[in-house]
Amino acid sequence: MNKLFKYFMFAGLAFSISACTDLEEDLIGDITTDINVPGIEVTGGNPSGPLTAVYSQLRSSGTANHSGYYSVQEITSDEMCIAAKGGDWFDGGILIELHRHTYTPGHDFVKNTWNATYGAIANINSTLGGGTLNAEQTAQARAVRAYFYWRLLDSYGRVKIVTEAGSGPQASRAEVFAFVESELLAALGIPAVASGMDLSNSPLADGGSAYQMNRYGALGLLAKLYLNAEVYVGTPMYDKAEIASSYIIDSGVYQLCGSGCEVNNLGRRRAVPSDPEKLVGYAAVFAPNNQGNPEHIFSVEYDEATGPDMNFGQMNLHYASQFTWNFNEQPWNGYATLEDFYNSYEAGDARRANNFIVGPQLDFSGSAILDYASDDDDIQLSYTPKINEIAPNSLREAGARASKFSYKQFGRANMDNDFPLVRLGEVYLMRAEAKARLAGNWNAAAPDVNVLRARAGVAEYNGNLTEAEFLAERGREMFQETSRRTDLIRFGRYNDAWWEKPASQAFRNVFPIPQEQIDITGSGLTQNPGY
Amino acid sequence: MKLNIDKVTRWMLLLVAVAFSSVAMAQTIKGTVTDAESGEPLIGANILVVGTSTGTVTDFDGTYSLNAPADSKQLEISYTGYANQIIDINGRSMIDISMSAGKLLDEVVVVGYGSQKEKEITSAVTSVGADDFNRGPITDPAQLLQGKVAGLQVYNKGGNPNQASVIRLRGISTVGANTEPLVVVDGIIGASLENVDPNDIENITVLKDGSAAAIYGSRGSAGVILVTTRSGAKNKDRVLFTYNGQVGASSAFNSVPVMSAQEFLATGGTDLGSVTNWTDEVTQTGISNVHSLAAAGASGKTNYRVSGNYRNVDGILKNSGFEQFNTRLNLSTKAFNDRVSIDFNSSYTNRNSDYGFNEALRYAILYNPTAPIFGKDSQFPFASDSYGGYFETLGLFDSFNPVSIIEQNRNVGRRNEFTYGANVGYKLTDNFELTASVAQQNATLKNVAYYPTTSLFRGNATSPTRKGRADIYDESTSFKLFEGYGTYLNTFGNMDLRLTAGYSYQQNNFFSTNLVARDFPDNSYDYSNLLETSQDLLGANLIELRSDASPDERIIAFFGRANLTFGEGIFVNASVRREGSTKLGADNQWGVFPSISAGVDLNNYLSLNKVDLLKVRVGYGVTGALPGPNGLSQEIRSVVNGSDGSVSTQLQRAANRDLKWEEKAELNFGVEMKMGRFNATLDLYNRDISDFILERTVSADVFGVNRRFENAGKLNTQGAELTLGYEVLQSSKATWSTSLVMSTYKTVLDEYVNEAEMRAVLGAPGQNGTRIIRVAPGEEVGQIWGPVYAGVAENGSPLFADLNGDGVIVAAADKALEPDADFQVLGNGIPDLELGWSNQLTFGDWSVNAFFRGAFGHSLVNTFRAFYEPVVSTQSSYNYVNTELRVPGLTSAQYSSLYVEKADYFKLDNLTIARSFNFGNASAVRSMTLSLTGQNLFVLTNYTGTDPEPSLVDYGSVDNGAAVNFSNPDPLSPGIDRRYNYFASRTFTFGLNLNF
Repeated sequence: MNKLFKYFMFAGLAFSISACTDLEEDLIGDITTDINVPGIEVTGGNPSGPLTAVYSQLRSSGTANHSGYYSVQEITSDEMCIAAKGGDWFDGGILIELHRHTYTPGHDFVKNTWNATYGAIANINSTLGGGTLNAEQTAQARAVRAYFYWRLLDSYGRVKIVTEAGSGPQASRAEVFAFVESELLAALGIPAVASGMDLSNSPLADGGSAYQMNRYGALGLLAKLYLNAEVYVGTPMYDKAEIASSYIIDSGVYQLCGSGCEVNNLGRRRAVPSDPEKLVGYAAVFAPNNQGNPEHIFSVEYDEATGPDMNFGQMNLHYASQFTWNFNEQPWNGYATLEDFYNSYEAGDARRANNFIVGPQLDFSGSAILDYASDDDDIQLSYTPKINEIAPNSLREAGARASKFSYKQFGRANMDNDFPLVRLGEVYLMRAEAKARLAGNWNAAAPDVNVLRARAGVAEYNGNLTEAEFLAERGREMFQETSRRTDLIRFGRYNDAWWEKPASQAFRNVFPIPQEQIDITGSGLTQNPGY
Repeated sequence: MKLNIDKVTRWMLLLVAVAFSSVAMAQTIKGTVTDAESGEPLIGANILVVGTSTGTVTDFDGTYSLNAPADSKQLEISYTGYANQIIDINGRSMIDISMSAGKLLDEVVVVGYGSQKEKEITSAVTSVGADDFNRGPITDPAQLLQGKVAGLQVYNKGGNPNQASVIRLRGISTVGANTEPLVVVDGIIGASLENVDPNDIENITVLKDGSAAAIYGSRGSAGVILVTTRSGAKNKDRVLFTYNGQVGASSAFNSVPVMSAQEFLATGGTDLGSVTNWTDEVTQTGISNVHSLAAAGASGKTNYRVSGNYRNVDGILKNSGFEQFNTRLNLSTKAFNDRVSIDFNSSYTNRNSDYGFNEALRYAILYNPTAPIFGKDSQFPFASDSYGGYFETLGLFDSFNPVSIIEQNRNVGRRNEFTYGANVGYKLTDNFELTASVAQQNATLKNVAYYPTTSLFRGNATSPTRKGRADIYDESTSFKLFEGYGTYLNTFGNMDLRLTAGYSYQQNNFFSTNLVARDFPDNSYDYSNLLETSQDLLGANLIELRSDASPDERIIAFFGRANLTFGEGIFVNASVRREGSTKLGADNQWGVFPSISAGVDLNNYLSLNKVDLLKVRVGYGVTGALPGPNGLSQEIRSVVNGSDGSVSTQLQRAANRDLKWEEKAELNFGVEMKMGRFNATLDLYNRDISDFILERTVSADVFGVNRRFENAGKLNTQGAELTLGYEVLQSSKATWSTSLVMSTYKTVLDEYVNEAEMRAVLGAPGQNGTRIIRVAPGEEVGQIWGPVYAGVAENGSPLFADLNGDGVIVAAADKALEPDADFQVLGNGIPDLELGWSNQLTFGDWSVNAFFRGAFGHSLVNTFRAFYEPVVSTQSSYNYVNTELRVPGLTSAQYSSLYVEKADYFKLDNLTIARSFNFGNASAVRSMTLSLTGQNLFVLTNYTGTDPEPSLVDYGSVDNGAAVNFSNPDPLSPGIDRRYNYFASRTFTFGLNLNF
């Protein structure tokens, strides 16, 4: 009996030792590169949507939400600010820092922008490295990646160029410029942008869905690059900007969304007679149902369910504005338009009516909306163009609220509106500016600008167009499309003093490289001058 | 490791040979040494032939066998804690000895894979028996030890009955890995403390330093807590029953002072026409009931104990509490001529929790005191029906009617836990025993919440669509353990030797699902039971569905240990464990954790006057820590959708294929002294933690994400612990014994991933960009960092001090680390000194237990004040916090030194008065004790928040009705009193103990 027991003991021990020194970790609750679920590609080459992970990067990289790319572009400009409302939205002063151009290498939003952009690039590199893309898909992915490098070029200047796993040295701004240019030219199948160029060798499509990078999208990005070349590399390239813009306009593939171009007004309150049934022209370009708008050349597709991360309703509107649109979630009362910017629009400008919400607010049933913490004398919620102060006690209802990307009834925190990165309206403006700068005469811009003025229902320019007026007009058209900071820099106005902002120094024209990225051992990054 | 043992064995064999050759074989004496009272065998008793150096020790059964010289006359038997005996041999070859306990100085202490006599222990080990446990209604076993063990921190801020205490041994042992000590219940490594009822615990032993914990290897870094449950009775005559009952009443000890309705209106608050004290509306006197019944007995060679425990505890927050039933069976028996011993224990716990909503406490603080509870009492037209009849201040951020929160919503959970362990010992020879253990633990948790369509709080009542919400969370965890080890025991001359070697296999599995569905038709049912009615099912993509499953998470180990005792006073212990884990990178899965320690009782050699014990010991040990999450060595991706309906993935977390153990090397020096009525223990330690596992910033351009788990950094902690005990009074009528436990430590970050870093966001509204804890290499952990308040500006903003005198005030949050910033250390979240002072007094049948506890030198960021004390005009519909520190005229909430408060405190934690009655063993009821306990009777502190206890970890900021994530504590950010912390309570308890 004793012996038998002894054997059992030893047998048990021996069994457990031989069977159980296995320490392989087989993850079953996470998606790893090992999984093989039909329809879900992991490293590139999903037959049903090989570029899904490429285009989704456009949404997740801060294009239309708070605390990343959108924020650093918008609230450093003279379009918008986030004022501190008592304690609300003070956030340790970092929002006011963006407004006053006193941002530092430790600024959260500057870090977020850097990280999200490189995250997007890494995912595109991963798809490109999968080796399963055809020529057109490869060209699309490379052009989208070039767009992200353009963001880095524009925002930080000197960055690393990474095209596959691993890293590289920090490139000069000129090298980054050359890289973006060459990638886009390669996608277009041409050695250079020149008049009479032939794009027939481009692997990119000649038109098609705005959700896919096509020849016109790539050309539009090139036009934007060349328009700012003088800022980026010190060499004017307005001729190329003009050629690229003209090619898009002359192709006739895209049309401005004018009087006959309309969509149903999804934000309409039946009880409020002033709410129109249709959104027409300019308003239709940015509406919640703006999918397939003829003006969109290259757009980010947002969807309340499957394509999240456009949160303008949350960011812009007062808490109680929830009742105007029956929003699913309560807004945050953050971003507001600077009074001077709002006042740069004429009263009859259709763009003002679309781009801003001002005045007393009514709920869905037409009743006044009350603000129980109202800090003016009137308990009814009423937005005023005037912002009393940026800190510490900006009024809760102060500032016109952005509504260019208009809101729909029963909307969710994630909006449905597509966000155009290249649209025909801007292409007209780019050509206009290039022509004016080439001619040395701002009136040379008038013909293209007047196309947009006419659509907005305001008087055309007739010999009275100046540089300042052109910049103001560009602002009116491009409000809320993350263009203003770049434009102000190009026009030499970014460092000007404006409301609650003193003049800033020229080194502020690029953001600092995030300190925590510099601090990593072996990062090889050095700080931009001045920081 | 194997090699080492071979060496030791060879060396041992040599010694054995020498020993044998030197003994003249004359007569063999055998026998058993037992305890005179219980009849239990005494293991390791010393038997010496008087006048010679010949001797032996008893084995596991208390038996001995001795070859005595032919002319031997007497044997001397000694066993620590028992009176020595000298017995005449008188030619006998069989001598059984029963020994009477003197004063038990030397108890046996469980040390993992066996036990040791207290005097042989050479590491910092503290053992606390049931008599010394904290009294009163205890909701989790860790609270039994609060303040009792020098260096062990147990804090449950506010004392929420549904939240487990935070346990720290000697401060932070890790930054990113498991921060809680390893719990071993009756030998089962990693067993759940939640499945042990406090009433069933006999003893808790805390292995504090590395040399003691190293035998537990990779999970020993945060310390090891060994729990021994009560076992069967030795008495064979009758079954002994014990009943313990308690009835207690808790009420809020204090609350955050806020303005009354009149004060609020006078300060410019928005008048909503009523007067409501919201704190009163959401708190209650919580009644708790505890009943336990245990039966212990023995039959033949088997003894057993069965117990049932029932706890019903109501929190001070209305609609919160739990009801728990626990049962435990401990059984041990012997067979095959006592060569085989079998221990079996199992326990089952069923706990139904009403978690309630802590948020109601927060919103009770900040809700407008002029707001009515019900919409019908509103002075404005208000659509009460849409909000269940309750009033809501619509259109405000982070503002919910607290009464509506607790009355309309439901948040409950049910946990079932079953553990069993079986332990089989088999004695191959008198000197060699094999032990095999198997254990399993299965736990399920189901949490269900329902927020009706009329609840603004999470129920989305303002939305025309998607009203109502049901959350279902299911979790199951299982744990398997197999261990086998052998123990060899012998005596060679004046050296006692014990060798232990074994194998350990542990596997954890985890599976969870979480479903969130919204948009319910009405509230005619509780739709957490009728999920199919969710309209989310109709509009696709609206249901949130998540699941998680762990891989087979394994730990495999081989270990060995040697205990040597030379003569009466020199002790040496050494151990090594080689252990592997699935959680680490393929090339770094295995680690080796050695330890060595030695002690000497100097009194044995110096014979100091009046000194009973003067032990000096020193130990060094290496332990490890494992990361919390699985899969850190692998790349993790997440799903993204395409416009064409396609699905793809993108990078979510970068892999670290080189991830390895976090390592802690600890040197401990201790002195133990006993002098008559006085005893003292002093421990000094130095611990170096390296390669800590931490999610750190990495190059975004290299990894595609900017965070990755890496081994990075070093941490050093130095500390001292002192325990003093004194029997002040010892007479037949009255006794008074007192003991004082003190500890202090300082943790410095030696190396870190960044030059300096700000952590812990203060939160919304308006302070999302404000981080308040500074972490930097070369500096202490726990520094609260910020600008210094210097007055109020004309516009109501706070002014800050120009600390560096450069004429420019730099106080913006993102400049906190700039060289020209006017920031400084505003306090430290970790106490400089913690103490516990126990007093036990008896007067005949009366006894008084008074336990005081204090912590000194720590600060807390009072977040309620930081947000709600300034009279912010835009917040004129929130109530204002109104402490003595309020600065009139301040109208902007900006973080500064104004909100960092010293939180030193000294409190009467527990006072128990008891009367015992003895009716004699013949009576049906042998004895009875009645007791009255008060907890938290007074607190001396200047802190203006509800509870000055240190906040050792941070769970981050939450707002606007979001839920707190307790699964990811940040140990580098201590010192923040968050707005979701529970209010402290005071409890009175009546207790009845019956033995029959």
